Amino acid sequence: MGASLPPKEANLFKLIVKSYETKQYKKGLKAADAILKKFPDHGETLAMKGLTLNCMDRKSEAYELVRQGLKNDLKSHVCWHVYGLLYRSDREYREAIKCYRNALRIDPDNIEILRDLSLLQAQMRDLTGFVETRQQLLSLKPNHRMNWIGFAVAHHLNSNASKAVEILEAYEGTLEDDYPPDNERCEHGEMLLYKISLLEECGFLERAVEELHKKESKIVDKLAYKEQEVSLLLKLGRLAEGGKLYRELLPMNPDNYRYYEGLQKCVGLYSENAQFPPDEIDRLDALYKSLGQEYKWSSAVKRIPLDFLQGNRFMEAAENYIRPLLTKGVPSLFSDLSPLYDHPGKVGRYSGATYAQLGAFNKDNRPIPWKHYDRRGQYDIALSKIDEAIEHTPTVIDLYSIKSRILKHAGDLAAAAALADEARCMDLADRYINSDCVKRMLQADQVALAEKTAVLFTKDGDQHNNLHDMQCMWYELASGESYFRQGDLGRALKKFLAVEKHYADITEDQFDFHSYCLRKMTLRAYVEMLRFQDRLHSHAYFHKAAAGAIRCYVKLHDSPPKSTAEEDDDMSKLPPSQKKKMRQKLRKAEARAKKEAEEKHEESSAAGASKSGKRHVKPVDPDPHGDKLLQVEDPLLEATKYLKLLQKNSPNSLETQLLSFELNMRKQKILLAFQALKQLLRLDAEHPDSHRCLIKFFHKARSMAAPVTDTEKLIWSVLEAERPTISQLHEKSLIEGNKIFLEKHKDSLMHRAAVAEMLFVLEPDRKLEAIKLIEESTNNVMPKKGALGPVGEWKLKDCIAVHKLLGALLNDNEAQLRWKVRCAEYFPYSTYFEGSRSSAMPNSAYNKTNRNSENGSANHSGGETADSLASNGKLEAFVDLTI
Amino acid sequence: MDIRLLRSSDIPNVQLANLTNLPENYFLKYYLYHALSWPQLSYVAVDVSSLEYNASSNPYTSKPPKIVGYVLAKIDEDNNQTGHITSLSVMRTHRRLGLAEKLMRQSTRAMREYYNARDVSLHVRCSNQAAIGLYTERLGFAREKVESKYYADGEDAFSMKLDLVSAFKDEEKAAEGEGEKTDGVDEGGEVGEAGKKEEKKTVKVGRQLGVQSLVENVVQKPSQQVAGA
Ligand SMILES: CC(C)(COP(=O)(O)OP(=O)(O)OC[C@H]1O[C@@H](n2cnc3c(N)ncnc32)[C@H](O)[C@@H]1OP(=O)(O)O)[C@@H](O)C(=O)NCCC(=O)NCCS
Repeated sequence: MGASLPPKEANLFKLIVKSYETKQYKKGLKAADAILKKFPDHGETLAMKGLTLNCMDRKSEAYELVRQGLKNDLKSHVCWHVYGLLYRSDREYREAIKCYRNALRIDPDNIEILRDLSLLQAQMRDLTGFVETRQQLLSLKPNHRMNWIGFAVAHHLNSNASKAVEILEAYEGTLEDDYPPDNERCEHGEMLLYKISLLEECGFLERAVEELHKKESKIVDKLAYKEQEVSLLLKLGRLAEGGKLYRELLPMNPDNYRYYEGLQKCVGLYSENAQFPPDEIDRLDALYKSLGQEYKWSSAVKRIPLDFLQGNRFMEAAENYIRPLLTKGVPSLFSDLSPLYDHPGKVGRYSGATYAQLGAFNKDNRPIPWKHYDRRGQYDIALSKIDEAIEHTPTVIDLYSIKSRILKHAGDLAAAAALADEARCMDLADRYINSDCVKRMLQADQVALAEKTAVLFTKDGDQHNNLHDMQCMWYELASGESYFRQGDLGRALKKFLAVEKHYADITEDQFDFHSYCLRKMTLRAYVEMLRFQDRLHSHAYFHKAAAGAIRCYVKLHDSPPKSTAEEDDDMSKLPPSQKKKMRQKLRKAEARAKKEAEEKHEESSAAGASKSGKRHVKPVDPDPHGDKLLQVEDPLLEATKYLKLLQKNSPNSLETQLLSFELNMRKQKILLAFQALKQLLRLDAEHPDSHRCLIKFFHKARSMAAPVTDTEKLIWSVLEAERPTISQLHEKSLIEGNKIFLEKHKDSLMHRAAVAEMLFVLEPDRKLEAIKLIEESTNNVMPKKGALGPVGEWKLKDCIAVHKLLGALLNDNEAQLRWKVRCAEYFPYSTYFEGSRSSAMPNSAYNKTNRNSENGSANHSGGETADSLASNGKLEAFVDLTI
Repeated sequence: MDIRLLRSSDIPNVQLANLTNLPENYFLKYYLYHALSWPQLSYVAVDVSSLEYNASSNPYTSKPPKIVGYVLAKIDEDNNQTGHITSLSVMRTHRRLGLAEKLMRQSTRAMREYYNARDVSLHVRCSNQAAIGLYTERLGFAREKVESKYYADGEDAFSMKLDLVSAFKDEEKAAEGEGEKTDGVDEGGEVGEAGKKEEKKTVKVGRQLGVQSLVENVVQKPSQQVAGA
């Protein structure tokens, strides 16, 4: 490197490299310029200067210089390496790999470049490449521990665990008997545990146990040692030994459920679904009683039996578990027990009278059964229980949060938000209730208020960016969804894409750890982290964000925002005098907005400067409202990017396939839409939306013009061939298929609605019949099971969807009104249907209690509540889109 | 509630719990840094019962574990004899069930057992009665000093310490009695010999990838935002 330079310049070149490494960029730049003064065409110097500038945020110059340098010295591995580093810094890993490969062609044994290449290969999961590079590194420097470990890990990742074991054993063979020295015991122990986990993965269980015992003294992590040992023993069926080990593990952590599960397996009392024959229940009961004597401060040992006990014994155990917590007055008890309410084996036994008994412990009238009524949709009872409790002890904040949650379920989002705010005001120091309140406000579409409330816990006055900087995804998602409901697609997209960006950053986050973990030897944790990263995009938040973004783009495609030309068009209808005024007004408004933005920017950078001492300028967001995002040329193309990620990472979600269907129908990609349809039928053929897609698809196919081009003919023939394979339509017309679907699901509201909608699609003149089909649905009463009052089966969100269907698709206002009146009966708390008890009505229960409440400190919500009621009308807007 | 070691796949939900409960927040990478540097020290509390029943009723989405509490802990980068609690919180819906105490006990035990740490330190807001009660009365932490304006909003912090040697004295004695105790483990430098050699080797370009810069990176970013639990 720098070889072609005379000694003085060669030294200067070394200085550039050193300055780069030590981040003394100015110094490096000076040195580079000194060389270039004499040798203006020196390629490596040009390249290094570029790399230095890249670190000084002068990107375009950087690329130019590096490319120039490379052009002047194509045979220099330094130039190629630098080019690769440049790409790497921009996360263009594929390009970077290409550059490194070129560099290695010139200098095949360059350790530095090989190492950099291996990191990129790990990052990109180019696993065969990773193995090769790691092998090369090992053969070049076999005396480095890291190269052995790296080679083994590479094989492991590349699905060759047994090879990895061989390598690790070969590495051990190079060590002295008294290895490791004291200061490497932890690392060496980790390596051994990693190797043993590999043996387990390969199924060499006996060998793994042997190895474990042999190396016991060298394994520092005693807990991991025992857990590994017991896992192996269990797999080997050595249950007696396993049981003994679990009894050694339990005292260390008597709240670890896996230990109990393992112990149950060892004594032959395990069942996948927690269903046991009576004699086993006896034995389990005895087991847990004796364990309970030993581990007095364990909750698990008391809580687990509640899952398998029945009848009186259940009651007794429940009492023992609950009583101390009740005496202490622990509201969180309800979260701990709530799963039992859903337990199929317990629901009968555990409701009604039993609840009353459970409640009977409760001298303070704590609202044990509220959740039960809430789940069953008996909101009035749930609310009255809570009100009782509030009356008794008005200081328990959690009661207000619970009440808020019930109101949300009951359909009064504004009241729910107001109550959550009341709770928040009772303890301003607890961020949890602040978060809870913000969530409720967003559900009620009070975005501005939500933001103001959230800011109370983020230190920079400029909270918005802070929540974003801190990757607060739940908040971004919830506001995105609210903006979407309100039809503000720009802001909605902005939020959804922000979440998507966080996921990209998280993927990027792993980069540094590829080398770090090999050195730290935290290999088990490292491999687990990689597996986690591989599944990252199937995480629920990513799914929601991507689905949200796709919906925005689809909506944008269906009703594009007005272009400037159209706006001019609007204006052209005005008389000339007004036109001029209007233009002036617009121009003024624009100027004002611009000035405000600039002022704000200055303010914020000034604040940044004063706080941290040095100037810390936060770049202003050039598109705070997402207006630019709306100006995409082809929204469907954008949407396809996110669809691909969903298809790759959550192909078994109905939503993914529905979105794929919608998108591809709009893109006229008939075969892709058909694929989505087939997936829908595979996932859930009886789902109303699957049925909709089925009918719509073949209805559309029928209406296509006769095929002309070869592609069209091909599509045609595929569909011809495939249609008979779809059982729903086998030798049936679409109309018949629709009818059969109705017969099958005639008791379900949502299925009837789908059939009605399709009936209208197929035969528009049978609209009245379609509407009748919906209106004749009955809201059956659910079986009673000791509940206090009757509950209908229908769900609020379904009824809202049907209401929209009547309006938007069937376009019948009267039917819509009839539906609203009917649903207001079923859902008296619903603001959407203006139920009699909702906060939409002046005389509602909510409005009454709120007036009485001393804690009406939900002061600022007055104005917004009214607002949000109006916008509640847009709730569940997603439903519109799915079909 | 299941009390178990934190895994990488828990981290998004741990981050969510942290953002929900506390004003001191960290990048996801900082959680990764903890999990990959001291995999023995951080614990989570998981609401398992709801998980089981959800999983069976919904075949399409296997729900991630519901994290209701966590402790994020490390060994002081400059002093390998001292542990540090970076963050601790429990969802309000699950408080006063003893979860925080259990999480802390597991973490401090691992500091003592695996890293042979002598003590563990933490910061707490002077107004945080619940946490102060937990640390001092339940766990035996002692107040060291007040650090004025430690938190971004200007509140002071108590800096607290727990002497791990005496806290685990009895247990260790018992274990020694059984002859199971291994000799004092000196963890030494954080990077092994071989790793070090490779580090020091003269390199041409691309040195920026060194472990140094990583540690700086991950530690620095969050510390611009926050200051400890
Ligand atoms: C502090 C916090 C972690 C405690 O979690 P927790 O799981 O509820 O605590 P535990 O149930 O383990 O409590 C153990 C003991 O701590 C003390 N304690 C806990 N919460 C308390 C409270 N609100 N008031 C008084 N003492 C309290 C009690 O002595 C309690 O024992 P007891 O219930 O038998 O009386 C929790 O309140 C929290 O997450 N708060 C918000 C975040 C936070 O402040 N984190 C600490 C940052 S340093």
